[in-house]
Amino acid sequence: MAMKYLKDEKPRKFRGTGVIKPLWTVLKHMFKTTIHRPVTILYPYEKEWVPDNYRGRPGLRFDRCVGCGICVRMCPTTCIKLVDVEDDDGNTVKRPQVNVGRCMMCGYCAEYCPMDAMTTTPDYELAEFTREDLVYGPRRLHFEMTTEMMEVPMEEHLPSNVAKGIMDKPVAFYNTDKPVLSKEDCIGCSKCEKVCPTNAIKMVVIGQNERGRDIKIPEIDNSKCICCENCVLNCPKDALHIEEVL
Amino acid sequence: MGYSGLLEWVKFNNPMDNAYYPYDVYNLPYDAGAKLWELLGGLLGWLINLLVPGNRLSTWLISDAVVNAFAIIFLAVILFAVGFVVNLTMIWEERKVLGRMMDRRGTKIGPLGYFQCLGDGLKTFMKENVAPADKDKKIYWWALSLVIGSSVLIACMVPLSHRWFVVDYSTGLLLIFGIFALAPFFILCAGWAQNNKYSLLGGIRAATLMISYEIPMLILLASVVLMAGSFNINDIVNAQFDTMWYIVPQFIGFIVFVVCAIAESERVPFDLAEAEAELVEGWQTEYAGMKWGLIMLGDYFRGYTACALIVILYLGGWMLPGIGATAVPELVFLLKIFAVFFIFIWARASLPRVRIDQILNIGWKRLMPLSVVNLCIVLLLKMGGVF
Repeated sequence: MAMKYLKDEKPRKFRGTGVIKPLWTVLKHMFKTTIHRPVTILYPYEKEWVPDNYRGRPGLRFDRCVGCGICVRMCPTTCIKLVDVEDDDGNTVKRPQVNVGRCMMCGYCAEYCPMDAMTTTPDYELAEFTREDLVYGPRRLHFEMTTEMMEVPMEEHLPSNVAKGIMDKPVAFYNTDKPVLSKEDCIGCSKCEKVCPTNAIKMVVIGQNERGRDIKIPEIDNSKCICCENCVLNCPKDALHIEEVL
Repeated sequence: MGYSGLLEWVKFNNPMDNAYYPYDVYNLPYDAGAKLWELLGGLLGWLINLLVPGNRLSTWLISDAVVNAFAIIFLAVILFAVGFVVNLTMIWEERKVLGRMMDRRGTKIGPLGYFQCLGDGLKTFMKENVAPADKDKKIYWWALSLVIGSSVLIACMVPLSHRWFVVDYSTGLLLIFGIFALAPFFILCAGWAQNNKYSLLGGIRAATLMISYEIPMLILLASVVLMAGSFNINDIVNAQFDTMWYIVPQFIGFIVFVVCAIAESERVPFDLAEAEAELVEGWQTEYAGMKWGLIMLGDYFRGYTACALIVILYLGGWMLPGIGATAVPELVFLLKIFAVFFIFIWARASLPRVRIDQILNIGWKRLMPLSVVNLCIVLLLKMGGVF
């Protein structure tokens, strides 16, 4: 009786009538697809509707970008690279370049971008003839019809707010978290000042050492800081760290 | 002989007065061919007569024998051409309807996707002519030609109306059925000749299937013929016009005949001779390129014939009930064929393929008794004096 489960529990009374149900189903379906539309879309001529925050290739708003490099660090496939380009005023600046052939369209770059300069775009027709053509420079990443939804904001509820019962004030971490200096480790090399993309760090003189030279420490302007961690990562003595606001 | 006007050469005689006229009744394609030749040949004869008055070539050109010869050739060409175009239309219908049934759109090449078949034909025509090295060469080629040839032949034998036919024999229906039943033998031979186990299995399956479904079909044919009292297609159609469509008294027969017709034309619920999931492409495996294209075309010719037989036997042929033959009975007939072919497509879209044992069970244990039941009903009706 091991094969019992294979047998119909209730034998059909009229054998051969089993063909009627599929026939009826298919006929109904045919009328439905004839009166309305089939699900198939005539692709090259008409395109499927995509939502505003559809994750196609990344886009870049050149003027907003400060070249902080968060996108480079966050990219899971490491397809973003900072390259030197000339901006509108003729200065050489660093801006991201994306190898779309390697991009997996996750949209992390747009999510993490503190300036909302990186965006997602609904552009998914990316075929090219060579692999070199798939590398999108900063100017080529520009997308005309960027909307607010394409910026993909990343906001979270602070645990302190949740504890207080405030559930409608999500904040972005780069507005709250800031770098903090531990003074005893700082050697005053002013590397952090050089790498800060927003000029939020200024070296200030706090006194003289025994040989008469200035002792400098960085002073951080929190209103300008975007929490890009460049200063933390570049500090030779690990004197800076990001303090997380909870 | 002096000057004679063009109208003395182009007379548009009644083709029935032609001494060589091969039929007893009026035939439209023959008439069109004869008229066309009278125009062309008459013009040519008139021109030659202008240059060389009184020559015998001109009179020979419009003689009965030449008109008849041209009309016969024209008849053959036009019958095949119409069958071919109808066939393409049926493939197109299948693609479009099947598309909608599968939530797709079907073909898109040309107006409403009609030119897809032409594209496919061109593509298969461009293919290399590959054949297996160890084939049985004579059978390989002859079986193929005969499968396709017999399919095309029966498709052209189907009369589209009382005035559009090749033969008007009193046994026209039997002739069609006879050629229809030849195919399994050729298919078996073709499967054997390819030296391939899948082809052989497919050929055996096809032969088994066709032979077992031939018998209920012939019993049903016998019951229809019994009811109409004639083997002549014209008489059967007229008998249905006089009484009623035979689908009403013989509904069981109609259902059984549709199932048998689908099986005979090897279409999907019964396409286990092809069975591309199990047997590569069945008995057509080693027929590559245009050979395969022609086999598919032949398959559709057989489907067309099966639909036409259903229309003739059960759906009143080219007559409409209460109206009779309209101005274009051919068109009525073709529309009915397309409607019946819709049933074929519908079955194809809905039903899964049946196994070989199931097919034989259905054929011998269900359809065969049902066709005998149908025959008994016809006998009772006939003896009761209803028909």
